[in-house]
Amino acid sequence: MENLQNANPTILNLSDLPTRKPTASTKPKSALTSLAPSYANDPFAPSSVPELVSDDSEDDDSVVESIDAQEIYDLVSTMCDPEHPITLGELAVVNLDHITVQDDPEELTGLITLEFTPTITHCHLATVIGLGLVVRLQQALPPRFRIDVRCREGTHTTDRQLNKQLADKERVMSALENETLMGLVGKMIETCK
Amino acid sequence: MKEAALYMHHAEKDPLEAKKIAHDTAKRIESRELKLLELVQSLGEYLTDDDTTVRAKAIGYLSAVLGELGPKSLSRQQVPVITQFLSDRLEDETGLKEVATGLTSLTKMNFFGNAEATRIMAALLGVDLPKHPPTTRFAVLTLIDALMSGNRDALKAMGDKFVTGLADLVGGEKDPRNLMILFSVMKVILVEFDIVRHTELMFDIVYCYFPITFRPPPDDPYGITAQDLKNRLRECIASTHYFAGQVFPSLIEKLDSTSQNVKMDVLQTMAACALSYGPTTMSAQSSQLWDAVKFEVLNSAGEDDLANEALQTLKAIATCLSKGLTTVPPANTPLARYLKAIVKECLELLKEPQQKQAKPAGQILATVATASAPACAFIIQSTLPALLLIYSDAGIIAKQRALMQCLNRFFESAIAVYGSWTDVSAAPGIENPLEEHREKLFGIYSQALMGSNKEETSFRLTAMRGLGKLCDIRRFLADNEIGMVVQYLDEIALDREEKDEVRDEALQNLRKISKFKSSLIMQITFPAFMAQLPDSEQESKEENKPYLGTLEALAKLSLERPVFEVLLTRLLNKLEVVLSAGSGPEYPRAILATILHVLQQRSQSTLEDTKAYYNRLIPPLLTKTVVPLVAGGSAVLADDSVLDVTGRLVRIITHELDAENQEMVMRSVFELFVNHSPSNIITENAGIVASTFRPLDKDASKEAAGSTVILTSILAASRREISLPVERVPSFLAHIIELAQTPKSAAHRLSLLRLIALVINKWTTTADSVAVKEQSQALLSSISNMEQLRILFWIATALLLRGDKYGSEVMLHLVELLSHAELGATAARGFAVLLGHDEFLNAENFAVVRLLYKQRVFSQCVPQIIDMFKKADSQTKPNLLTALSNILRSVPSTIITASLPSLLPLLLQSIELHDADVKAATISTLEITILENADVVKEHVAGVITRLLKAACDRGEEGNTPAVRKSALRCLRAFPGKLRGELLLPYKRTVLKQLQLALDDPKRTVRKEAVDTRVKWWALGEPDE
Repeated sequence: MENLQNANPTILNLSDLPTRKPTASTKPKSALTSLAPSYANDPFAPSSVPELVSDDSEDDDSVVESIDAQEIYDLVSTMCDPEHPITLGELAVVNLDHITVQDDPEELTGLITLEFTPTITHCHLATVIGLGLVVRLQQALPPRFRIDVRCREGTHTTDRQLNKQLADKERVMSALENETLMGLVGKMIETCK
Repeated sequence: MKEAALYMHHAEKDPLEAKKIAHDTAKRIESRELKLLELVQSLGEYLTDDDTTVRAKAIGYLSAVLGELGPKSLSRQQVPVITQFLSDRLEDETGLKEVATGLTSLTKMNFFGNAEATRIMAALLGVDLPKHPPTTRFAVLTLIDALMSGNRDALKAMGDKFVTGLADLVGGEKDPRNLMILFSVMKVILVEFDIVRHTELMFDIVYCYFPITFRPPPDDPYGITAQDLKNRLRECIASTHYFAGQVFPSLIEKLDSTSQNVKMDVLQTMAACALSYGPTTMSAQSSQLWDAVKFEVLNSAGEDDLANEALQTLKAIATCLSKGLTTVPPANTPLARYLKAIVKECLELLKEPQQKQAKPAGQILATVATASAPACAFIIQSTLPALLLIYSDAGIIAKQRALMQCLNRFFESAIAVYGSWTDVSAAPGIENPLEEHREKLFGIYSQALMGSNKEETSFRLTAMRGLGKLCDIRRFLADNEIGMVVQYLDEIALDREEKDEVRDEALQNLRKISKFKSSLIMQITFPAFMAQLPDSEQESKEENKPYLGTLEALAKLSLERPVFEVLLTRLLNKLEVVLSAGSGPEYPRAILATILHVLQQRSQSTLEDTKAYYNRLIPPLLTKTVVPLVAGGSAVLADDSVLDVTGRLVRIITHELDAENQEMVMRSVFELFVNHSPSNIITENAGIVASTFRPLDKDASKEAAGSTVILTSILAASRREISLPVERVPSFLAHIIELAQTPKSAAHRLSLLRLIALVINKWTTTADSVAVKEQSQALLSSISNMEQLRILFWIATALLLRGDKYGSEVMLHLVELLSHAELGATAARGFAVLLGHDEFLNAENFAVVRLLYKQRVFSQCVPQIIDMFKKADSQTKPNLLTALSNILRSVPSTIITASLPSLLPLLLQSIELHDADVKAATISTLEITILENADVVKEHVAGVITRLLKAACDRGEEGNTPAVRKSALRCLRAFPGKLRGELLLPYKRTVLKQLQLALDDPKRTVRKEAVDTRVKWWALGEPDE
């Protein structure tokens, strides 16, 4: 084992992390209510809906589910810390409360801000974490969103400097060319669920 | 001796012929036609030949003859002579392989003794073995192995000379096949021989192979794996405690390896050594091992293989140190010293139970505690007071929860050591160390579950799981305490304000308790749950008493037989009450569905049971269903939706009856439906029923007709050997086919169609087949409506299942109908029936199902469809594609693969159809193809990707439902990793760009798939991949 900066961080319990409330369609159906009469499924009828398609009952495109903070949280919380095989959610590096989404249907562009909290104030991997978050969000969100990832104020000894780096598009771009850095970032994203 | 010359001539070119020559010679020696001495003498000239291969072949002949001789063929005088002769040949190392093989054959002779063994071994020790090729070394090692198993004492008597000599002989061996023999020989030496003076030498011979990094060549003829070698080597290393001083420091050093495999091997070897070296040796090693191995657990995320292996190693040490102990270990014992260090360090880490290393610390304690009852006692006694103190001082709930998780692991250890209620093995002599803290633990956990805020979900779930485990420990909690837990769980399970996951967990724990304390469930839970069931649908609505959840909970708890008996009684009583209150069909259906659900879940019930269930359930239920139809009263049980459940109940119960009882039931049901005589299925008013109940009449009421499902269910459940109680099967069939052309409801239609298929598949004889053919032909020639089409599909299915050639004929007519202007589209959908699974018509229900019937349907249909497609107009094409997708959906992918090249163009067109079902089916076929046999798609990558992208991203196109979009995305995700990177890289940019559209999909689940797919494509060609 190499020397870890923070070998024994505090970990949140998975079941205490914020999750989306299960909707009716994701809840497992009860055995009794799902017992459809056998004659209800007529393969000859044009409206027959085999299981393959019917797994979401809200199969209706007119109901729009817009991108919200929980969705952003779900995208990044299962990323892995570069130092531990533990997720950023469990380490409380990312928190639902520190994510905001501005997505006005009237506007052409939207804005997502995410503030992260390193596990210790002098963590030298904070830049990598920030970069990883930027890459992940850029990959996973439609291009109309501007993405603002920053280190939460007062949670790191050099947070100003760090945020300057993360806000600088050119520096982010050149960091993405760096193979070692991208290797680390790739590892972080690998664990995403 | 011509044979010798002949043998030597054939030895290389024709080994079989050579073997035959040797065999013949051996037969002649056994029949005393030839003397062995003569044979040896005849070799004289060859044995002095200058050519080494000639000498080797000559000895080879002798060896081959010896190999063919039976164990009694050589006399007491001959064995030593031949032994001497061959042993002397060992000096001439040219024929070493042949000599060794011959000697190995000699060891099998009855008169082979220790003197001969010693002579051979002594001669062998003079051989410079390492310079010989592997096959020769193999022959020598085989010889040594034979001596080791037959004449071990002789080798032992040779003393140091053998031990050190062998070391020189086999040093540096590298061939895996030879190593397998060497390791097993070495193990015997290490265990049984006097090696104390040569420990170091022995250690060097064996340990130099650790760790095994061997990888078998792809065409390895011997099938030796690295694991085989690892296991054998490990046995050697673990076989003598004299190695301890050298093994452990070296293993600890190797634990620093960066290779996961090596670390696993090290940990497993440590554990094997610990288990075999004995407590005296291990007491000197245990502390340095703990210091080395603990990091593998503490620094891991806790769940990986390496950490688990390390836990097992720590446990193995405790197991070894526990040997001979039957009490809580006193402080001066090696076990206590070992555990004390562990406890000290782990307790320190558990002081902050939320931190990362607390969980592994808890795992270490809990795992080591399973080593033995003394270890369990020591660990629990020396940690529990401190842990309980940390709990009470924790202050915040998250901290208490983390600590509770650690305690829950201790409970699991207690179950491992002391057993659960259902275990029958003897319990350890030491009192369960948790006993001392029983009341305290019960108090804390009860308080946590019932006394904390309902919002504290994970805390209460942890407490509930802990209580469940405490209940499970054998003879730990008293019945009244478990009863309390049952009450808590009842309360939670019935409280509609609790979250679903909490209620589900409560039910699961109740279910577990029902396995060992079913009486408590029947006494406490049942009355509580039954009281929640309303007496009518009206009451359910007015007093907000939903019955579905309660019924479902009852079903989950009633899998044990005694509990089910109670459930059955109570639910049938409830049904009575509900019916007399004048109910709609929903509630009665739910009650019956509950019983059905339990029966479906129960593992194979005994026949005795089922007969009782039949009598209690079926005739009363059918009576209540039928009598109101003829004598008036609530006909709610004759509602199609209720009858559907009744039919399934009848089927599942009748299916379990023995043949004799099934025959009885069959007769009764025909009396009721066909013969119109009083049937003993009807328990009251049987006379009126017999005179007026006419469900199979053309003008029967919809309800009466609907009850046909009962007849169908019984036919489905019955064995084929039980004959149909009708005069002529074809006339009965004709009548049903007639009825099926004008069904009165969807339920009635399905009952009739199934009835037709069941009769054809299970009860038509060869003689009847002409009639079946005629009836089908009549339908085919005059087909004009959908009902006839359905009947034909079911007839075809029944025939195809039993491998009837006429079935294929009907099927091919149906394929032709795909171009029919009115019926084509319906026919296309009907192909789902042909290969689909039917609950009533299958092998489990005694239908005739030929192996490979799906293959046959596939190979007969698909070429014709492809053929028709080439000439088809635009109206017919969708029908052909729909039929195709319906066939592909039900055929194993291995069958499809071979035809894929010709199918692929059609599949690509199917994706473009505007029918969501067909699209989804096609895409899933494609996905399976890519996952299992991507090469088929290789030439069509561009076409497939373009169409999938359109299906995934073009929300404007009809048929691209969210489900289709999702499956298209999943299918795209299957490409990377299945096809070579360079085939996909040209499309990477397009795919990533296009998928941005899917990232903005209105549906969240689609976006999720898009993200995952993009990540896969994004990583394509990255240096890290």
